[in-house]
Amino acid sequence: MAWAAEDLIRQMAEGDADACGRFYDRYARLVYPLILRIVQDSADAADVLQEVFWEAWQAAARYDPARGSPEAWIVMRARTRAIDRVRAVRRRGETFVAPLDEAMAADRGDPAQRAADRVVVADVLERLPEHQREVIELAYYGGLTQTEIAERLKQPLGTVKTRMRTGLVRLREIMKPAT
Amino acid sequence: MTHEPYETQAAVYVLGALDGEERSQFEEHLAGGCVECAEAVREHAETLADVARDAPPMIPPAHVKTDLMRRVSATGSARATRRRSWLRWAAVSAAAVVGVSAFAAGFVASRYEARIGAMARETARVRAELHRQEAELRDRLAVAQGVNDLLSDPAARVVALRGSGPGDEAWGRLVWDDAKGGYLVVANVPAAPAGKVYELWTISGGQPRPAGLFTVDASGRATHPVAPTRSPVDVFAVTLEPAGGVPAPTGPIVLASAK
Repeated sequence: MAWAAEDLIRQMAEGDADACGRFYDRYARLVYPLILRIVQDSADAADVLQEVFWEAWQAAARYDPARGSPEAWIVMRARTRAIDRVRAVRRRGETFVAPLDEAMAADRGDPAQRAADRVVVADVLERLPEHQREVIELAYYGGLTQTEIAERLKQPLGTVKTRMRTGLVRLREIMKPAT
Repeated sequence: MTHEPYETQAAVYVLGALDGEERSQFEEHLAGGCVECAEAVREHAETLADVARDAPPMIPPAHVKTDLMRRVSATGSARATRRRSWLRWAAVSAAAVVGVSAFAAGFVASRYEARIGAMARETARVRAELHRQEAELRDRLAVAQGVNDLLSDPAARVVALRGSGPGDEAWGRLVWDDAKGGYLVVANVPAAPAGKVYELWTISGGQPRPAGLFTVDASGRATHPVAPTRSPVDVFAVTLEPAGGVPAPTGPIVLASAK
């Protein structure tokens, strides 16, 4: 019988290392592509992945099911740690948004490469209107803040915020019937 | 003031893009117990989890789990021990509070907490050491069983290897079956110099084939499993080679069997 993910987190909080192994087996494949997409380097992604589950192990006692599902809990942790890594790299002197600009440049380049990239990044965000997808990607995968996005897109801050919210609500509507 | 700005902030916050004072204001608002905003944050986070689930899963490198579990099991047993000890302590302290003053109980607790912590760390260390020893014993047992099986096999032979130099104390024995392979045991072999390793060769029809690398322990001994060869072996020899091994012997012969 498969343990409910909530039970695994509870067992982790009690110090059950096997539960941590099972929790990893269940969610590592879900969050690894997300981390990889953000940090864009497989060695960094492997590091971040280990850190995410190590912190989940330590924070298991603080998990509150009322505040979200185990998936949302681990996905949020993975995204936050991955962005921390990207920001640390940028602080070390690389240009501010180089990884993003490179990714976008590649996106406009060779059609075959573009098709290959699509396989990795193809997701439900593609179904959003361009202006909503853009702000969500810059924030969630690129780690830019609302102010940075507004400057970059030369749009008023309020517009950027509204697009984010409308995009997220729309995404939920897209996902709902499917699940 | 309308609640609307918060509803939008919830989305920006979950995307990790809320910055400056707005961020601290929103966090304060959340901490203040706003049910609508807590629900909005929860829903947006679930949506992003759904987005992650929608992408094709990818298998991460295997070493991530190995490394993680090594870290986790070093703390897991300590944490479990600490919890159980605390339960026992709670019962004792409840009785103590009745008889003695609460101050004394607090004093006892703080002293025991440190001791329990130290004991938990010690338990974790001993456990890790036991696991290591158990793994080592299992390896040795597997070798002993392999040698034992070969010795009870009529097709197996025992080959003696001798050191090549005059007065050389090094020796080796190989329990060997051409079809099943075997085990090489050596003794009195000096430790290989830095950057060097011992390599075993099986020689058939004058043609040497590499049969694995090994090092010796502090007492000059080693046990080395040998895979079966396709053709019957005439001579076994050990040479000293650069670390990593070589496809054909280049270094001095350390041990060899009689032809």
